[in-house]
Amino acid sequence: MKETEVKKHRYGMVIDLDKCTGCGTCMVACASENNVTVRADESDKQRSIAWIQLYKINNGEKFPKTQTCFFPRPCMHCEEDGNGGHHPPCVSVCPATATTLDENTGIVSQIYTRCIGCRYCQAACPYHARYFNWWDGYSYFKPFPDGMERSLSPDVSPRMRGVVEKCTFCHHRLMRAKEIAHAQGRTEIEEGEYIPACAEACPAQAITFGDLNNPKHKVSELIKSPNAFRLLERLNTKPKVYYLSSKEWVRRLADNYLPGEPVRGIND
Amino acid sequence: MDSKDNKIAERMGINRRNFIKLVVGGAIGTTLSPLPWKITDDIAIFTQNLPWVPVPPAGEYSYAGSLCTLCPGGCGIKVRKVDERAVKIEGRTDYPVNPGGICPLGMGGLQLLYNENARFTGPMKRTGERGAGSFQSISWDEAMNILADRISGLKAGELAAIDGNLKGSTMSVVIERFLNSLGSSDYIKMQSSQETMDIAANLLTGTRGSVGYDLENSDYILSLGSGLLEGWGSPARVINAWSIWRSDELKGRVKVVQIEPRASNTASRADKWLPAVPGTETALVLGMAHVIIKEGLYNRDFIDNFSFGFYDFETAYGSYRRGFKTLVLEDYSPERVADITGLEENEIESTARDFASASAPVAVCGRGKGALYGSLYESMAVLALNALVGGINRAGGIFINDPLPLADLPDLPTNTSTGSDLKNGRIDMAGSRSYPFSQSLFNNLADSILEGNESPIDMLLVFSANPAFTAPNCGKLRKALEKIPFIVSFSPLRDETSMMADLILPDHIYLEKTDDMICPSGLQYPLYGLSRPVVKPLYNTRNSGDVMIDLAGKIGGTAGDAFPWKNFEDVVKHRVKGLYDAGDGLTDFDGVTPPWGTAGSIASPGYSSFDEMWEKLVKNGLWYRHLDRGRNIETIFNTKSGKFEFFSSIIESALKDIDVKILGKNASNDDICMPHFEDISPEGNDSFPLMMYPCELINLASGWIPNPPYLNKTLFDDQLKKDNSFVDINPDTAAEYALKQGDSIIIESPAGRVQALVNLFEGAMPGIVFMPLGFGHSAYDDFLRGKGANPNEIIYGKIDPLSGQNIWWKTPVRVTKL
Repeated sequence: MKETEVKKHRYGMVIDLDKCTGCGTCMVACASENNVTVRADESDKQRSIAWIQLYKINNGEKFPKTQTCFFPRPCMHCEEDGNGGHHPPCVSVCPATATTLDENTGIVSQIYTRCIGCRYCQAACPYHARYFNWWDGYSYFKPFPDGMERSLSPDVSPRMRGVVEKCTFCHHRLMRAKEIAHAQGRTEIEEGEYIPACAEACPAQAITFGDLNNPKHKVSELIKSPNAFRLLERLNTKPKVYYLSSKEWVRRLADNYLPGEPVRGIND
Repeated sequence: MDSKDNKIAERMGINRRNFIKLVVGGAIGTTLSPLPWKITDDIAIFTQNLPWVPVPPAGEYSYAGSLCTLCPGGCGIKVRKVDERAVKIEGRTDYPVNPGGICPLGMGGLQLLYNENARFTGPMKRTGERGAGSFQSISWDEAMNILADRISGLKAGELAAIDGNLKGSTMSVVIERFLNSLGSSDYIKMQSSQETMDIAANLLTGTRGSVGYDLENSDYILSLGSGLLEGWGSPARVINAWSIWRSDELKGRVKVVQIEPRASNTASRADKWLPAVPGTETALVLGMAHVIIKEGLYNRDFIDNFSFGFYDFETAYGSYRRGFKTLVLEDYSPERVADITGLEENEIESTARDFASASAPVAVCGRGKGALYGSLYESMAVLALNALVGGINRAGGIFINDPLPLADLPDLPTNTSTGSDLKNGRIDMAGSRSYPFSQSLFNNLADSILEGNESPIDMLLVFSANPAFTAPNCGKLRKALEKIPFIVSFSPLRDETSMMADLILPDHIYLEKTDDMICPSGLQYPLYGLSRPVVKPLYNTRNSGDVMIDLAGKIGGTAGDAFPWKNFEDVVKHRVKGLYDAGDGLTDFDGVTPPWGTAGSIASPGYSSFDEMWEKLVKNGLWYRHLDRGRNIETIFNTKSGKFEFFSSIIESALKDIDVKILGKNASNDDICMPHFEDISPEGNDSFPLMMYPCELINLASGWIPNPPYLNKTLFDDQLKKDNSFVDINPDTAAEYALKQGDSIIIESPAGRVQALVNLFEGAMPGIVFMPLGFGHSAYDDFLRGKGANPNEIIYGKIDPLSGQNIWWKTPVRVTKL
């Protein structure tokens, strides 16, 4: 690749945990947008699939000082493997080249038809963002209620058993936005023309999405906040999903801090 | 091997060397040929095209706009379609209620539409035993004949209906009219806290409209157990308001105070959490009023010019009456209130001062999602607190709106039926001498039916409701339902109540039908929402409105005369004509000028004929007015005094008829007319030492609409595990009963027993077992059935004074480890 063809876009997400109310609309929007499967027993979290998973934490204080906070966790779309390698942890272990980091968008892809189901990537991902299909989720055999396949979107192919899947930042929406821009004779898409389903659906407007390489995009501004941080920052995987929280105990739980160690922001 | 074979082998020279040559040569040859690559490729392609993995058909994309009617929130939705298939629901940015967002239930709506296992696909009649759930498909003609014949044979008063449609909606008007035209007044609405608030507003302001809260403009929100982030009011709207409060522009300037016994989402995200003992919120509000009055922080202009009953007064007969000020100052000192509520005295005082000194404070009430009754005196106290700071029909306060200017339906023909039941009073005793202010008393229904040997009603119609699951103490209600000889369900879903029915006449599901909504719950400005079908009906179902009109025609007589319309849509049109005649009101929203905003000029209606307006209404799904801040406050009170009445003259004049027994033991005559605190908690005793508090979760549907499977994904590890749901218990309380995380327990009340798992949660008030509402279905399909326990099964409470509504938030229980 030539020097001039450096990354043009780095799509990223900022989730404001002060605004997030933990309603779960992002999870439902994501599942509905991306044909994610549902099983009768969704409480079995080792088998259920959620591209964006809501986690609940609390400050551990006694009544009535207790507080809970929610972490929506999509794929982090990491940029490095943590050891200086320019591949996300999942990409560097995939023997089938089924997952790659797109240099032009910063999106970590997942190609189901290439995946051989070895699940190395699942083991390598520090964020548990990858899920394995133990069954054909949408099949005409029975794991799914009758008639439900009618709500499947043709934008995203339903997965078969034996492959790994994960959040794609609704890559098909980027494709669609580009097609529309192209039809209108534009080569670039504007801010807001491409946002994932979760960001669009959030009733609290807690999720902001945009190009981190573009200083005019709101996300570029937001990540400069002293309240900004990333999950497991110290693994050095360089995630493109940022969080904002004004609460120190929330930021502390986002990384493996030693007792008494001061909490650092990304700008420190 | 015989000798002949050996000879052949010899002739071919198959020995060790040649064999190896053959194998190696064959291997090299095959590798060089395209065969292995072709086979690998074919296998790969085959496994990627497993014939049983569906390929969603592509097609033309389109969006259909409508209104979500799954809850009283009334959010705008647009449905993405691929040809005729609906594939995704999204929020509308051109709808003022919910700018862009929707709640998880609304987002999962397609799973209600397309889940064939959870829906009725056509009319059915019962074949097996009652409740066994075995039905046989019949034609609509047969179903209508069965129904019409049975109704024609009924005596007056033997027909009743339970209706879960929204108050004032055309569907609910049609159902009530149908009953009235047959001489029955037993039209029973499902519960809601808005109902209680609207009664309170009527008692204090004389207006029978709806109460809305101007949350977006408020800078201090005092919430009495309202689950602002749990689905209260219009969930997407309230959560959007929350994000406005937390926006960079307002950060730190808007305060939210949550009063609730558990660290819910709302309590955790609030600026201040005050865990008052459940049921004592009224005392807390009056304690705050005490501080505000004592320190002179109240709005003198409003109190002196627009209120009555604040100061002590003398009646026309010369008797001396105690006013609200004296009541509050004498009875609700912070010291006493601290004692009642379990809060610190200085917390009560500082909250009161902050509330009064905020520029636009508002107090809201309605527990949890507001889907069940509230407490009448609590609602009155909340109105009084808002009035104290002048927050009635003022930006950022409470708005008491007149009813929408919908056209009335023509009066019922006067020659009504044989021996009208209308005079005999209702089966639930609402509006009777004992309960003069309530319009429906859902909780009395079961008692009245169970009382005698035979059920007083012969036939029950159930619309958009699942009382066998959602009614507090639903076990008792199910017993009552069993006693009713004939039940007709109009539910599109295979819910618990339908399973007990004799005849099923399935309605369309919300995305397939025309429906409307009058003033979404808690909305501060007047809005009429119209929902339109976004997909063609999938099955052999019919809009219940059309069914009722056809049925009336079939029965004929007074019923037939009462419905001169061709179909349901004509009734909607008839009513909407009133909106057109009102002359103002907008039918589109530009996404920029919110109806509650202060900026921007108000556009002109933009229609010049009714047909034009109807067209726009159908297209955009709404009619609304901007927040009427200019409205003269002198004209909004329709009380005897023409003012806001801290001392309700409506109650006073009704007092001579009221059976004082229901008023509670502590009330004096003066107090009865004013907001005051009555200790109505059930006495905990040795056999039931703990309390059970049902809590509501935003991602668990607890009303007549069940949880779509996608929502099960959002439940946490400490909410559901396989077929068991969890209850939150404080670790200290759990320790007293030697309970550990994940222990299986039986929770038992005087009404029944359920089983659940223990979740130790520091955010739970000690001494209380918190049970989520929405688990424990016994109907529907594998995705819903048999998961967790339903707290409604064990709810056992007293009656709310004055309103006669049931108290569901405090049930004495005991727990036993399994």
